[in-house]
Order: sequence, then C-alpha cells, then structure tokens
Amino acid sequence: MNKNYILPGFVVLASFGLITFTTVLLPNFIFRPTASEYAVEYTPTEARGRKIYVREGCVYCHSQFSRPQDRDFGPLPLAGDYVYETPNVLGTIRTGPDLTNEGQKHPDQWHISHLKNPRTLTPGSIMPPFGYLKDDEMKELVAYIQTLGKKRMHLYKRIYHPQELEKVLEKRKVNVDGSAAANAGRGIYQQNCATCHGTNGLGNGPNAIAIAKKPANFSRPFYKDYDDVTWFWRVSEGVPGTRMPQWGKLLTEEQRWYLVAFLKTLPRETEVYPKGYESIDPEKWVEVNKTSAAELNSVKPAEIIKTDGPPPGAGGGH
Amino acid sequence: MIFSDKENSASKNFIISAVVWLVIGMSLGLTAAIEFVAPDLSSNIPQLTFSRIRPTHINAVAFGWLSMANVGLVLYIVPTLTKCKLYSERFANFICLVWNFALVAGALCLLNGYSEGREYAELPVPIDILVLVGLISLSYNVYLTVINRKVKKLYVSLWYMLGAFFWMPIVYFIGNRTFVRLDGLNDGIVNWFYGHNILGMWFTTLGVGIAYYMIPKLTGRPLWSHSLSMLGFWTIAFFYAPTGTHHILQSPVPEWLKALAVVFSVALVIPVITVLTNFFMTMKGNWWQLANNLPLRFVLTGALFYFITCIQGPFQATRSVNWYIHFTQWVPGHAHAALLGAFSFFDWGGIYYALPRVTGKQIYSNTLARAHYWFTFLGFWIFYAAFTIAGLVQSAGWHAGVSVSTWVVELVPYWIFRALGGGMMWFGNILFLFNVIQTVRGVKPLDDPSLEPAMAPPASKA
Repeated sequence: MNKNYILPGFVVLASFGLITFTTVLLPNFIFRPTASEYAVEYTPTEARGRKIYVREGCVYCHSQFSRPQDRDFGPLPLAGDYVYETPNVLGTIRTGPDLTNEGQKHPDQWHISHLKNPRTLTPGSIMPPFGYLKDDEMKELVAYIQTLGKKRMHLYKRIYHPQELEKVLEKRKVNVDGSAAANAGRGIYQQNCATCHGTNGLGNGPNAIAIAKKPANFSRPFYKDYDDVTWFWRVSEGVPGTRMPQWGKLLTEEQRWYLVAFLKTLPRETEVYPKGYESIDPEKWVEVNKTSAAELNSVKPAEIIKTDGPPPGAGGGH
Repeated sequence: MIFSDKENSASKNFIISAVVWLVIGMSLGLTAAIEFVAPDLSSNIPQLTFSRIRPTHINAVAFGWLSMANVGLVLYIVPTLTKCKLYSERFANFICLVWNFALVAGALCLLNGYSEGREYAELPVPIDILVLVGLISLSYNVYLTVINRKVKKLYVSLWYMLGAFFWMPIVYFIGNRTFVRLDGLNDGIVNWFYGHNILGMWFTTLGVGIAYYMIPKLTGRPLWSHSLSMLGFWTIAFFYAPTGTHHILQSPVPEWLKALAVVFSVALVIPVITVLTNFFMTMKGNWWQLANNLPLRFVLTGALFYFITCIQGPFQATRSVNWYIHFTQWVPGHAHAALLGAFSFFDWGGIYYALPRVTGKQIYSNTLARAHYWFTFLGFWIFYAAFTIAGLVQSAGWHAGVSVSTWVVELVPYWIFRALGGGMMWFGNILFLFNVIQTVRGVKPLDDPSLEPAMAPPASKA
C-alpha cells in the first residue's frame, strides 16, 4: 500500500476513536445518575406493560420528557427519574401528548376505552385503535401508563417554602454584588434564558414571538424593587401559568445566585423599548403586546431608543 | 445468477433489490401518511397500525432502498475509479442475498411487534448480526479492491466511500449493542449517537461520494477543486460524529454533552458549504446540459435539497431554534429532505447512469424517467412544505398554551397535503420500478440512444 495513505488512515482512526470515547464511553463513566425518589421500579405486571408499550411503538407519537418550558405537562423529570427506563422511550416527536406525567390523570377504564377507540373519548384524535390487544395485555399496558410520573405527582411541591428563603440567604456563599459572580451568571443566562428574554434582557429573545404571555423585560423600572431573595425565588420557582420554568429543578443553588448577580447588573433606570412604540394606539393593548414582540425581534440595537418615564399607554403590561 | 462471477453482477443485483425495497418502503410510508388522515383505516389489524408501520417504513427505506442503492453504486464506482475488478463479485452477490433475507425477516418481525424499541435500531438481534456481517464483508471487499488498485491516487469519492465503510460497521455495532444494558438516559445518549451517525457516517458520506463521481462524469468536466473536496471530507470526519445529542437537547443529559453536540452541529456548515461550492462551481458554464441529461438533473436536484436540509440542520440544533421546533412535524420534514430529497435523488441519478453500464442495456423509456423526475420533484415539494408548515403551526399552538390533543385538529389540512405529495412520489416510483424492470429484462428501448446519451451504455459495448 502506498505510504502516503498511512497518515490519513491513522488520522481517521484516531479522530473517530476520540469522538467515540468522548460521546459514547465518557458519558457512561462520568454520568451515572442514581435513582431519584421519583424513579419507578416496575412490578412484573407494569414491566410487562412497558414491554407492550415498546412493542406497539407508542414512542413514535408520545414523548416521555417534558421540557423546562412545558409547564402544562406537569413537574419536570430529572436525570435520576430515568434510571429504570431501558430501552429508553424518550421519543422525538409529539404527535400525541407527552406522557411523562400521564399516570393517575384518568381512571383505568378510561384508558381501556380510549385504547380501544380513541375517538369516543377524545374527538378529533388521530391515535390508531388498539382494540386487538388481549384483555390481560390491555390491563398490563394500562398498569404501566398509570405509573408514569405517579410518584412525581404525589411528592410534587414547591421548591421553597417562603420561610425557607431566609435560610437560603444565610447559607449563600456567592457575593451577588461582585463582578466575578455577575460574569459567571452571564454565561448561565446566555445559555438558558436568552432564548426568551433576549441577550440584553429586553424580553425580545427569538422565541418571545411564540409565547402568548410574553417574557419579562428586565429594563422595566419596577425591577429595581426586587431584592436578592425575590430574584432568587422568582428564578427558582418560575412563573406558574407561563412558560417560565422552575430553574430550581435544573440549576444548582450556586448557579442561581450567579444568575441573580447578573440580573442585578442589567440597567433599569429608564425603560428600553423599540422605536415607534409611541405611535401605537394605547386602547388596543393586546395588539400592542403582539406587535411589540414581533418588532423587538427584528429591531437592531441601534434603533432602540431610551426615554425618561414610562411609555405612553404602556400601563397594561405585566 | 445470484452467485455469478460476472463483472458488475453484484452492482446490478443490489440496484434491482434497492428499487424493489424503495417501492415497498414508500408504500408503507404512504399507508402511514394516509392513516394520519383516516386513523381508523387500520381497523384493529395490528400489522396495519401506524405505530408498527412507521418503524418498518424507516427500516425498509433506510436499509433496503438507500443502503442497497448506495452499495450498488459503490460496487460500480469503486472498480471504475481504481481500474481494477471488484475483489470478489461472488461474495458481494452472496451478501446481497443475505441482506435481502435479513430485511424481509426484519420487516416481518417489526410488523408483528418484535421490535427492540430504539429509534433506527429496531431490528431484533439475529437480524442485526446479519446486517453487521453484510456490512463488514462489503467493507472487506471494497477495501481489498482499493488496495489492489491500478490507479495510484485516490479520487475524493473513494475517500468518502472508504470512510463510510470504516465508520458504518462500528456505528451500527455501537447502536445495536443490546448485550450491554444501559440505564435510561445513557441508553438514549448511545441511541442517538447511532441514530444520527447512521445518517452522517453512512448516508451522507456515500451520497456525497456518489455525487462527487456523478457530476464530473455526467458533465464531462473536471472537478472544480480537489483540495476543497479534501477539506470537505476531513471536516465531515471531524465534525459529524459527536452531534447526536442534539436529538435530546432539552432532556436532563449532561450539559457538556449538549454543548458539544450544538457546537459540532453548527460546525457542519463548513463541509456542506465546501461540498456544494465544489458541485456548483463544477457546473459553472454547464447548466445547459440539464436539458438533455436527466441523471444530472436528478443529482443537482439532490444537491439543492442537500443545501436546504444542511442549512436547516445546524440551526435546528441551536438551543433557541430547537426550543421551538423540537417534537414537531418540522423534524421529520427535515429528515425526509435529507434522505428522500438529497440522497435518494443522488441515487436515482446514479442508477439512471449506472444501470445501462452494468447491464449493457439502454434505459427502457426516457418519458417514464422524466415523469419519474417530475412526479417525485413536485410531490416532494408539496410533501416537504406540508411537513414544515405543520411543524410551525404545531409549535405555535403548544406555546400559546393549547393542549396537544386539542390542537391536533388544526393540522388536518397539512396531513392531507402530505399524503397527496407522498402519493405523487409513490406513483413516480412505481413508474421507476417498471422502467428498471423493463430495462433489466432487455425490452427494446422506446427512444433513440442519442436522445439521452447518459442513459444509454457506451457505444463500444452496445
């Protein structure tokens, strides 16, 4: 063989070996979540039901991971919750609803009727009928579906009770007024928050356009009234009824303090909003809201103007 | 015939099997698409249920059609580029038989519910072993052919093909290792390493390798830049493999793994731009050839779809875009743009060019071939637009707070259009199957060979 091809051959081998090591072997060595209190150890019946779930290919329409922004699918599952889930049924498409927390939402008989003919219970559904399952198979499958997120629902509570927040403040080790913490927080912000709140915190991230209840614009003056604990509590608990996730479930306490340090540095002496805001009819504030998100999305930083005091007719925001 | 030692017989057998699998796979896909509109169509027959048809469809088109068509073309291209006979024609023919057997058994298993349940890795263990044996034997065959070559320098297509035949058996092995039981999320990580690399290290590399052969061959002009083509190869080799985690970007897997996947996904813009620059610069001044060169038209349409899908891909993997379009119909639209748009069009072009050369017979009908092109091309646009728009609509509904099961009703028009576009493509490919069968049977061609010179064997052989 020509010697000229030995080096390229070696490089292909080495690079693919390195990639396989970092993305296949390494995660399995250093990422070993232990079973959390929400992980379900299946009984024999439920395990058989899970096999039927896999066999019938439910995963091709139903995902089993609700994401941070999917607040309407119930509590967020964490790494430790998936320990007994082999083969994985995470799923990649949501033609039907997410089933992470489906268990205990409906009685068994509802599930059986629904599996036999989905359209009798959810009109307009496009789920195929699974009436060909034998009665005992059906029972096993339903027993499995009822375990999904069951423990999570029962043990679910807010991350912090208001009284606990004082304790959190006592054991805080991060100096939230320091620039080091703020810089650490900026990275966390850009990675997790910027997609909705925008890179400058104006509530104009690329996905703001999609959300019915718009993400907060941190330049608004009333955020001056937020103290450290309020910021920390808001970041940790999220905002129920919106897409704001409970970051307390995803970020460590230290990371959230860094984030608070960054949020405190954002300017809010005057509210920043896009050009042309004054000309919008203040009576139609719902439309104003829509327009502003779309405009904020397309607006270049140079076009953003600052004024003193609140903009005309902007009283309806939240 | 199956164990024949005749030159190019393996290539011919692989191509014919591929075309049959294409029609089988597309029929399954069309059934699945119709079931979105008429969910009671399955009428309680387990084998007709959407959730069983879908994995069968994927495996039939991925391992039946695309893999076998790619292998068939590789078995034709590698000997011509090395000016050396295939190492063992008989062995390759045997592998074709094994692979067909494995796929029939696999399709029956999946339809009857014997599935491993991991996306793209559904086939049961005995069939995995057969497929893996086939892959390794083909690698051995291709590598020995290249080692015995008469041409000193390796053309870029050979780099891609040798790379694919090195990566794919390893990727397939990792993806189907059922003897190592991994906990939930680790299982997902490995599953998506496989699920994405089967596209990256097998379909993309072989597809691009075929296009690199076809475009200069069909235009009769040399490749624009060899150094650029090498840059494309090495960046694919370095950047493609770690990207799999972007399929589970918002699940609780480690943050560093997600960051790695996003960075490398975005870096994939580099190989795509280099490859397409090379293709289009080679075409510079030769666009008129599209008028009477149907294989070239197929390959360049493939390049167009390759451009679309590969510009979508990197941006889809970023956190902000993934936030919006993950879980929606946009994603299968993107997957179809890659496998059906780009690589299938490369293969169709390749088959129209290679089939006359491996069988020594002219393609039966130019009209049918042109109808095949237009049905597939127009059908694909309808199909792809339906998928993409449905995805955006879906996500808009969810993020406005409408529940998934309520919002499903809004998507009915897109599902109808998707089935319509799919039906057009299916019809086009029935014509293709008929055309291929008539060609192989040696029915007298309907057209004059000078009308489409690329679709007739060279004059010396005819």
